[in-house]
Amino acid sequence: MTDVSIAAVGAYAPRLRIDADEIADAWGQFQASGIERKAVPEADEDALTMAVEAAERALAAAGRDGSAVTHLALGTTTPPMAEEDLTARLASMLGAPEDVTTRTVTGSTRASAQALDAALDAGPWGDEVALVIASDCPRGEPDSERGHAAGAGAAAFVLEADGPGTIVDRASHVEPYPGTRFRTTGDDETTGLGVTQYDRDAFTTTLGGATSDLEEPLDVDAAAVQSPDGKLPYRATDALGVSVTEISAAETVSTLGDTGAASVFLSAATAFEEGAERLLMAAYGSGAGANALLIDGAVPVATSLEGDTDLSYAEYLRRRGEITSDEPEGGGAYVSVPSWQRTISQRHRLVAGRCPNCNGLNFPPDGACYDCNEVPDEYETVELSGTGTVEAVTQIEQGGAPPEFVEQQSKSGAFVSAVVAFNGPDGEQTVSAPTQVLIGGDEVVDVGDDVETTIRRIYTQEDVIRYGFKAQLTGAKR
Amino acid sequence: MRDAYVIGAGQTPFGTMPDESYRSLFSAALETAVDSVPYGLERDDIDEAVIGSLGVGGRQLGLSGPAATEHAGLHGIPSSRIENACAASGYSVRQAVQAVKSGMADVALAGGVEIMTDMSSDVTKYWLGVSGETEWERLTGTTFAGVYAQMASTYLDQYEATQEHLSMVAVKNHENGAKNPKAHLGFECSLDDAVGAPTVADPLNLYHCCPTSDGAAAVLIASEDVVDEYTDDPIRVAGVGAASERVGLFQRDDYTGIASSKKAGEQAYDEAGITPDDVDFAEIHDCFAIAELLAYEDLGFCERGEAHQLLEDGVTELDGELPVNASGGLKSKGHPIGATGAGQVAEAFKQLSGKAGDRQIDDPQYGLTHNVGGSGGAAVVHVLEREVAQ
Repeated sequence: MTDVSIAAVGAYAPRLRIDADEIADAWGQFQASGIERKAVPEADEDALTMAVEAAERALAAAGRDGSAVTHLALGTTTPPMAEEDLTARLASMLGAPEDVTTRTVTGSTRASAQALDAALDAGPWGDEVALVIASDCPRGEPDSERGHAAGAGAAAFVLEADGPGTIVDRASHVEPYPGTRFRTTGDDETTGLGVTQYDRDAFTTTLGGATSDLEEPLDVDAAAVQSPDGKLPYRATDALGVSVTEISAAETVSTLGDTGAASVFLSAATAFEEGAERLLMAAYGSGAGANALLIDGAVPVATSLEGDTDLSYAEYLRRRGEITSDEPEGGGAYVSVPSWQRTISQRHRLVAGRCPNCNGLNFPPDGACYDCNEVPDEYETVELSGTGTVEAVTQIEQGGAPPEFVEQQSKSGAFVSAVVAFNGPDGEQTVSAPTQVLIGGDEVVDVGDDVETTIRRIYTQEDVIRYGFKAQLTGAKR
Repeated sequence: MRDAYVIGAGQTPFGTMPDESYRSLFSAALETAVDSVPYGLERDDIDEAVIGSLGVGGRQLGLSGPAATEHAGLHGIPSSRIENACAASGYSVRQAVQAVKSGMADVALAGGVEIMTDMSSDVTKYWLGVSGETEWERLTGTTFAGVYAQMASTYLDQYEATQEHLSMVAVKNHENGAKNPKAHLGFECSLDDAVGAPTVADPLNLYHCCPTSDGAAAVLIASEDVVDEYTDDPIRVAGVGAASERVGLFQRDDYTGIASSKKAGEQAYDEAGITPDDVDFAEIHDCFAIAELLAYEDLGFCERGEAHQLLEDGVTELDGELPVNASGGLKSKGHPIGATGAGQVAEAFKQLSGKAGDRQIDDPQYGLTHNVGGSGGAAVVHVLEREVAQ
């Protein structure tokens, strides 16, 4: 039914976690059933940065890199900007070619399943691949069921012509059920009317509609089912024709929370990692609609889903920006958007320059060469590997941040700023660049420590989010 | 080229002065400088003025040089503002010396002024961070304290010095500053206090960081052709050195020294025909304690990695072999950015003229001033000499 198959899957969840008990202590009750703890995005993470994390792992599991991606799709209910195509930056961060076809699907929790469905129709692409990424970090009122459930995570599928994961069958189904889960224009918190039986009916009817259209027998090892909480998916066993065991074999909601449009993708990644060789993906989106997908085969997976830093409820509220302030009056150092844009390949991919006169590595490759002081006509483009060693480091304590980093410090606390000697492509030369080094738990960064880079929000100025690389201790990249 | 001499110099108290504007403060500094000229000086004698400052009200302001000199009663002369971050008025002194040596002026005024305490803490933070490498270094969330802390991290990792040695700088400079009636933080502090202060940017704590201050300073430079009209005890500008360095730390070859300081020092020694051994005292740019240690080495007072030994041996204390920051330095005397460099020269003038009161150094002949902009993007060194009768 499609010539496209799954090459590999990657998944990522933030390292921060909060226990349901912390929230219960704060409110007297925890309203989200079946969730024991959940993932919390760091202040400099969002759906785009998590998408990159998941995509890089998926590409690595497939043995490919960004240059092979010819079709790039992102499904999310929480795009960091309401209007502006994020896939251009996503492609740049991943190193995808500029003629890549891109899609953003949003609007409901089945956005990424819709993106996957469309990609399966678009391929195959010869030797090249498609990358479909589900990334989400929903929010709800802090005292609401959806607020309590809201988690975070991302997962990505690499699609190719003859991959190990065959698409056996797929179907979709829609029926109008307004009001089960929605977010009004301009609001960033998801809500719903909470009409319990109506909500369940919408969920089971549409999911049941999609799976009943599948012609192939299910006979699955696991079922990755949309999980707004840890209870609702199990109410759909009959409608889906799967058992509790098969759903729980793929569930992530109990440890990551409600991951919105990433829920089913994350469950699929988990199921493949647990050895599932036949899998049902059953995505639900309010409105309502459902997509069902039956996959056969053992799919390579690379995941980083464990948490390693527990938050108190106050720390959680700070991370979510519920009790913190914005950039203070007085403004920050002004770097115009055009001048930022000129350095975007450095920010996204550490593109350095080799001096044609002396071979010296320069970062950023701009102006006179650091080594020979000549001003070359053009530097030879060289991409750094993203690994390096800390040469100088400080931790900026609370209250010490410059204005444009006050919001980050208010949310996340003290941060580490360092100079890192990044390894050049030849493994001999290094070139130094300043960067923040992410810390979690009781991690301490010292001179001589090895680090590797990832993509995070740097800061937001004039409402424009500036993304760029930050470093983390080697080994901390789970 | 003809010789240039310091015939008078002075400063306002450094500190918090809510009743002063940058113009009134500069005017007050000029008055102290004029009053210090032994045979007096008419303001009409001043041919040119160069004023160092970073900004006004935390912002850039055009024509603040002429606005300051006009307020001080200097009408019609060429007056300009020079900006080189914290090295602004060190460079204004250099500029005035150039004007005099070249013959364009017989008497030139070099000054500096900064009002830093009349704005919100938010604006102060914004402002203090705009002298670094903005596009990359600043966007890792660093401040000046952060960049010097990064240098300290490498230095402490590489050499034997410890955080306690950094605290010893604070103790020494506060002890000196307590003897300076014009110091911003003119009190003594114990080593325990200095060691136990809260961390600002690890490994630097509060006592490893200078304050932000209001203040102004003025230096009057005269040519050898007219110097006798003003004084019988002229202080010769024996050597001037200045250099720049890559503004961002990450762009440099070495984080455990400041190349511009080293180069400026070598130039100044060379012109003065002396070696570091001949220096009797120094006013050093100790914006952060690590900066004083680095400067000991950059200026040739000791070998690389041995600065802490000078502190342990008491060499740089007021009664040591080479007193450093007898004024209290930036740490205790204060750091009104644009006024600091000229303020250092004013201190050297006082010491060489034997008028430094309780903190007077015994019979000095050569005094050195060392003024740094940012984390070393600019540095300027002056060697001043009390001419001893042959």
